[in-house]
Amino acid sequence: MSDRFVIETADLRKNYDGVEAVRGLSLQVSGGSIYGFLGRNGAGKTTTIKVLLGMARPTSGHARVFGLPADAEDASVEIRGRTGFVSEEKELYDYMTGEEMIRFTAPFFPRWRGDLEQRYVHTFELPLDRKVKALSRGMRTKLALLLALCRGAELLILDEPTSGLDPAMTEEVLQALVSHVASEEMTVFFSSHQIAEVDQIADHVAIIDRGRAVVTGALDDLRENFRRIQLVFDGDAPEPAFRAPGVVRVRRKGRVLTVLSSAGAERILDEARALNPVSVDVVPVTLKEIFLETVTAED
Amino acid sequence: MMFRPNPSSGVPIYLQLMEQVKHGIETGALRPGEQLPGIRPLAEELVINPNTVAKAYRELEHEGIIELRHGAGAFVSATARAKKLTDKLRAGQAIVAAAMEKLRARGVTDEEIRRLFEAELAGLAKPGGHRE
Amino acid sequence: MLWYKSWLETRWQFLIGLVVLMLSAAGTVIAYPKVMKLMPMVPTIDVSGELGRRIREAAELARSYRGYVWSQSFGQNLTQMATLFAALLGSGSPLSQGSRGAALFTLSLPVSRNRLLTVRAAASLTELLALAVAPSLLLTLLSPAIGQSYSIKDALAHSVCLFMAGTVFFSLAFLLSTVFSDVWRPWLLACAVAVVLALCALVIPELSRYSIFRVMSGEDYFRGRGLPWLELLASAAVSVAMLYVAAKNVARQDF
Repeated sequence: MSDRFVIETADLRKNYDGVEAVRGLSLQVSGGSIYGFLGRNGAGKTTTIKVLLGMARPTSGHARVFGLPADAEDASVEIRGRTGFVSEEKELYDYMTGEEMIRFTAPFFPRWRGDLEQRYVHTFELPLDRKVKALSRGMRTKLALLLALCRGAELLILDEPTSGLDPAMTEEVLQALVSHVASEEMTVFFSSHQIAEVDQIADHVAIIDRGRAVVTGALDDLRENFRRIQLVFDGDAPEPAFRAPGVVRVRRKGRVLTVLSSAGAERILDEARALNPVSVDVVPVTLKEIFLETVTAED
Repeated sequence: MMFRPNPSSGVPIYLQLMEQVKHGIETGALRPGEQLPGIRPLAEELVINPNTVAKAYRELEHEGIIELRHGAGAFVSATARAKKLTDKLRAGQAIVAAAMEKLRARGVTDEEIRRLFEAELAGLAKPGGHRE
Repeated sequence: MLWYKSWLETRWQFLIGLVVLMLSAAGTVIAYPKVMKLMPMVPTIDVSGELGRRIREAAELARSYRGYVWSQSFGQNLTQMATLFAALLGSGSPLSQGSRGAALFTLSLPVSRNRLLTVRAAASLTELLALAVAPSLLLTLLSPAIGQSYSIKDALAHSVCLFMAGTVFFSLAFLLSTVFSDVWRPWLLACAVAVVLALCALVIPELSRYSIFRVMSGEDYFRGRGLPWLELLASAAVSVAMLYVAAKNVARQDF
């Protein structure tokens, strides 16, 4: 495991009371990227994030952030000093006001950015004198985001940052993220089950299903490499066993055989043509389709 | 840049951006020597990854369509190469229009036409076909 | 800022406890003149057995102001209430906080779990100390108002006993709050333990020698045998041990 990656996991496993939340997850996040971590509910996204931040200990395998082991107490404290985090529920201290939350959080971070604090208070139109429990979800999200963005952190870890937000506010949050990343040197690692937002701002993606990464890579590469091959036959479509690698899914319905390939569509096509189809269609695949085809139904 | 990239179309956003720039040059909306929006403001405006904008600009520079002047920004290339590309695109547009007319005359629907072009672009519809 | 947060999270418990204990102390002082008026009637109360023995004992003690104060306050009211509030201050760990979410925010800060607990324990123990000292000092301050005096030396000695023995219930509640994620169960369980201990001492007279409440009330000191240093240190040791276990619990916990 090298220091080149901001986040790195190797065969990470985590059991909670006998439930395997993460079952051998390996991924690598390079510095400066916006990394989308896609998965269904219960796929293991939040658990992975908790392990990265030292909130939960891995059952086996490794997780490293900034090259430091995430399960060592001292290292974890250092990791958290360089990381901004927003939890899924965006819970903060109910009884504190926005101002108190900022004054509470700032001293923990020597590189706190007062200039960003001012900017975001203004842009987000945050009512700082209101207690957190009186804030709407959208406002709480913005406050939580402010607390994460002003730390002078090198890494942002966000657990479903736009969940529960209406489209306008979602766009605001995404815009704040994009704007922040454009002007600061940092990496963003965010989990989501909103494909549209991953499509929009991520440059790398990992799709996690039942505790494992089923697809990882640069988003543009995925868009260029994944193809749907549709073959129509005279009679019933055959049940082929493709030897070429890169076959993700094969569906048979009547006379139509549909193959989703992650790479090497040419070789698959060669094998497919040997089956004498009546017509052959090759089309690009959207991230949504890739997602739907590579994740299984919930247990 | 008055357009919204479609992130869900399956076409990489940086390619869409490149197309928009080329289209803008071709229609005259972007003139040679004119400055393009900076990477950061454009990313903010479109709410897309700044790396994506950077990639599009790099590719456009590689194709000679724009120039990246260090510290100053991105500018539409004033060279003839850009103009040649524009001519090339105009000629290409004529060919595409003619082809579509023929296909439509045969009763091929727009959706089918799109699929034919996609398959052709993927370069895999013909035996021994390859990309670009 | 962790100190401020601990204060915000415990201030109501602390303030209510402070008011209650101080009112109790004040009440003891103010009631003295009335109690004195009732004294001559005591020998006429004919209650035999354990209860009668206790009434006669209380009456005996009340002959002196110092004895009266001890039997009512330190021997009884303040000890009981200090136990209650010590347990209250100890429950509600900074990492339980009702919903898990806010705990996640705390855990995402660059602070070790040990430090989180240490600050919280230290802040609450300081509050407990205030709860032990304030009512005692009030006794000294208020006694002249009824023409009596209560030495500050006695007040402070009893404060020390209240505090150090009280830390046992504080630490018990603190430990329990690392096991239970809600605010009430640690407190209720700690109180239940206190009740059981008190009942044991009551029902089995031989055990009353070792009762924590005897230490808390400072009975040895009251009876002129000096501060019970051994018992106080033992209490402190037990508290420290429980806090250590609490820290160990939290260190290996998954959130």
